[in-house]
Amino acid sequence: MKSKRWTGVKSKIYALTILSALSFSFFFSVSNGNAANVNKALKQDKPENWVASDQNAAMERSQERVPLIINVKMEKPGERRNRLIGVLSMKDSEHRYFLLNSPIIKKDNDLYGPVRFMHNKHMIVSGDCTTCHHYRPEGNNTSETVRCRACHQEAFHPDIPERTGLKAAYHLKCLGCHKAVKKGPVNCTGCHAKNVPDHGKLVQLTGKPKPSDVTKECLRCHQSSAEGLSTSAHWLWRGPSINTRGREKEISNGKATNTMNNFCIALSNNWPRCTSCHAGYGWKDKNFDFSDRTQMDCLVCHDTTGTYNKTPQDAGMPDPSVDLIKVAQNVGKPSRQNCGDCHFEGGGGDSVKHADMNSTLFWPNRNCDVHMGGYDFNCHECHKTQNHHIRGRSTSLPVAEGGFTCEACHTENPHSGNELLDYHLNKHTQTIACNTCHAPLYAKCKPTKTFWDWSKAGDKKRKPQKDKYGKDDYLWKKGEFRWKESAKPEYAWFNGNVERYLLGDTIESMNHLKITAPVGNFRDPQSKIHPFKVMRGVQPVDPNTRLLLAPHLYGKGGYWKTLDWDKSFKSGMTSVGLKYSGEYTWISTEMYWLINHEVTPKNMALSCATCHTSFKEALNHPLNQSVRTCNRCHQDNRDINFEKLVEQGIDFQLLQQRGRDSQSLIDSTDYINFKALGYKGDPIIYGGRFKKLPLGWKQ
Amino acid sequence: MTLSRRNFFGIMAGTGSMILGRTKKATAWESKAPDNPYACLVDLTRCVGCRKCEEACNQANHLPPPDISFDDKRVFDTKRRPDDSRYTVVNRYYGGKKNEQDELLPTFVKIQCMHCQDPSCVSACIVGALTKKDNGAVHYDVSKCIGCRYCMVACPFEIPAYEYHNPMTPQVRKCTFCFEKISKTGGRPACASVCPMEAITFGPRKKLLDIANKRIHENPGKYVHTIYGEKEMGGTSWMYLSAEPFESLGFQKLPLAPPPKLTETIQHSLFSFLWSPILLYSVLSGVMCLKNKDDKGGSHES
Repeated sequence: MKSKRWTGVKSKIYALTILSALSFSFFFSVSNGNAANVNKALKQDKPENWVASDQNAAMERSQERVPLIINVKMEKPGERRNRLIGVLSMKDSEHRYFLLNSPIIKKDNDLYGPVRFMHNKHMIVSGDCTTCHHYRPEGNNTSETVRCRACHQEAFHPDIPERTGLKAAYHLKCLGCHKAVKKGPVNCTGCHAKNVPDHGKLVQLTGKPKPSDVTKECLRCHQSSAEGLSTSAHWLWRGPSINTRGREKEISNGKATNTMNNFCIALSNNWPRCTSCHAGYGWKDKNFDFSDRTQMDCLVCHDTTGTYNKTPQDAGMPDPSVDLIKVAQNVGKPSRQNCGDCHFEGGGGDSVKHADMNSTLFWPNRNCDVHMGGYDFNCHECHKTQNHHIRGRSTSLPVAEGGFTCEACHTENPHSGNELLDYHLNKHTQTIACNTCHAPLYAKCKPTKTFWDWSKAGDKKRKPQKDKYGKDDYLWKKGEFRWKESAKPEYAWFNGNVERYLLGDTIESMNHLKITAPVGNFRDPQSKIHPFKVMRGVQPVDPNTRLLLAPHLYGKGGYWKTLDWDKSFKSGMTSVGLKYSGEYTWISTEMYWLINHEVTPKNMALSCATCHTSFKEALNHPLNQSVRTCNRCHQDNRDINFEKLVEQGIDFQLLQQRGRDSQSLIDSTDYINFKALGYKGDPIIYGGRFKKLPLGWKQ
Repeated sequence: MTLSRRNFFGIMAGTGSMILGRTKKATAWESKAPDNPYACLVDLTRCVGCRKCEEACNQANHLPPPDISFDDKRVFDTKRRPDDSRYTVVNRYYGGKKNEQDELLPTFVKIQCMHCQDPSCVSACIVGALTKKDNGAVHYDVSKCIGCRYCMVACPFEIPAYEYHNPMTPQVRKCTFCFEKISKTGGRPACASVCPMEAITFGPRKKLLDIANKRIHENPGKYVHTIYGEKEMGGTSWMYLSAEPFESLGFQKLPLAPPPKLTETIQHSLFSFLWSPILLYSVLSGVMCLKNKDDKGGSHES
């Protein structure tokens, strides 16, 4: 789509005899066939065969009508509870997940979207089925538990006027319990998203409005939204850095000011290119007025048509061909399309920067990401938003507007369904982040950059070679790259805080620099083992001032025009108000990128044997019956398929057969490398970090 | 003490009844209340103050959009009254109940026309624009209304509002009980059908009283043992259950007898057997006769 536009722009440029310096450079860069640099429109229409399986099944269930049960067997709550304790258990739960979206509720009013209800989670947390299933249908052979809507249907039923309708039954039970236990949401939008009214009639725009005119129209009703956005990270590109060690009380760190990386390094004087991802219009130099709310770009996040696009090199301005009125009349809640259009493209292209985010997440397979692929989650369902401040934090950026954890939804004892494993898996959550097991690979389907050497840049004669993924290994503008698909993460202790190099910090060792590194260690109870993509690079540094250099790359006077590093550093460092001594050299850098997405379901999580060598040894042992592992503690003779139990999980061989680059991982064990993390060896043999093994078993 | 219009009428009515009560026995006043109309039971312990009822009412009655959005909870900082642009409002009261953290617990109170069983407004209306329908609604017929606003004076709950901003076609505005809706089988008022907590239960009045009594009976510690509206002003179609004394939640303490009983008794006594007009006109004709006699002589002089 965009490439068409390029051709259009190109032909226009051909047609014009007078070229401005800027447009000339633009043409020049395109005509050089710089494929990696051309932002392709990432947005994708939903593929016809794409189905979020779990979500779909739940949706179908939610639409079912069941006959109304008029008579129930009245039982005192305590008696019923005592009678059912030990009788009903997790095994009786037919479905883990429900959508509360019955047509009964929608009959009179349709104000909110469906509620996601995690049935088994509530079973675990409540521990008492009768909290919700408070009565049973009358009769001898009736089921002990029935769906809510078997008894609660339309409100004010003439035969049973005292019984609440389904909507009230949900609200009274859910709210009552959430308030009583002081857990779980008690506000409307905590459980279900409010339906966005049709803006077709509300939006009063005519003619050909400027982008800022659209914003003014939005602000007519949504003043408070602008108020919220005006102090948010998406608008300011800076904010409080409470998780950056030593900078917990600073409030102005971020991309806009001092964040560095080993991709395109820093914002320094590269505005119009970098800020094409800014939720605003026209941040083309340091004089951008952040108090002018009419420059906010509401549409980039709230477009539902999929037609809105920002020009990649125009400081956030939308493509002139976009029908802004149409987009404004069809605004809605942000979807994966909106967020992904910028965030999947970090580093200037699909999958370049983030280990765990790329265009496959628009319509992912369930195995690729269980939340988005199985349950059709939108980003904001986890990254909950209040006043346009979006929860979530990364290791790569210092700004944090609140965080959340997997445990917030899944509890600290998330595993249920396999009583042989649940206990052990739930103990793992004290030491291991969910994603350590549930994201055994990163960049599963799209290769990501893992290495970038800026020192090799500038050789226009060097022909780029294609690697096994078909990616170029070189670009004269940027230097040398390495890419990796289906990569094994590196594991480190992490307690949520990050050591971070920011622009202007003095470097201690000139050999090597960790731009970001996780804080945490073996002895810290707050630390858990987390998976990381470690991005390695070679980038410029000033040996005299010992500062990492921020180059001016894009636009007039930038390195991509002049190929003159010296000028580029001078311009870049001046723009951020720092000194450049006139000398530069190269330093190898590392950056830790926490892997949060591409969460796999249990069938694709790490198996026990992938990490625990002792299991692998036992399985490979010719007399594996005699090697003691589980039966070291468990003295029982149940007939258990031990092999199946410890090997269930991700199968690298199968992945390879399906075309993934996982050959090197087949048959791997000690996957997370216990010794490197501080253990003596496999904790099954040597014990965990705080506890000794109970039975004193020696090898 | 200043004499308000309301007090003035009260005193006048009181004095009148005292005089008349002695002079003449009236025929006994009979309630015209429907036997078992539809009603609503508001359980204040359930209301969470979401204001969905206000929003639903606004839409059902095509009322103007509010100045402050229905999602904005800041409106609770002031006490609001229903008016011509909103037929129902929810107010927040702190009746004194506290939680373990010693924080006051709010009680949200929805107010609207109570749809009295024997409405004062209907009694006061001189043209019959207001009528009590069999289904419970106190119904307003704009085509009959002459804009005298007696209903506004008469209402003990101070509900009817007048469109003062509309000088050409002003109307008296108040909750309609969604008359059209509840006239159909299965129809329910907009507020009751939207309420997520079923804080408003809609149904036949007698059944609701049973439900209310049952709730009190099953949770005697939770509720105050009164159903506001069961007897107040002769009974209303909107009734309330509460965990806190009604006086602390902005409910007026009102007499149990329906006001029309008194006023209509007075009025009917005045007009029974047409004795008062006959007497009045007899006196007047006597005066005229006397005056005419006097005037005969005088006319020559002029």
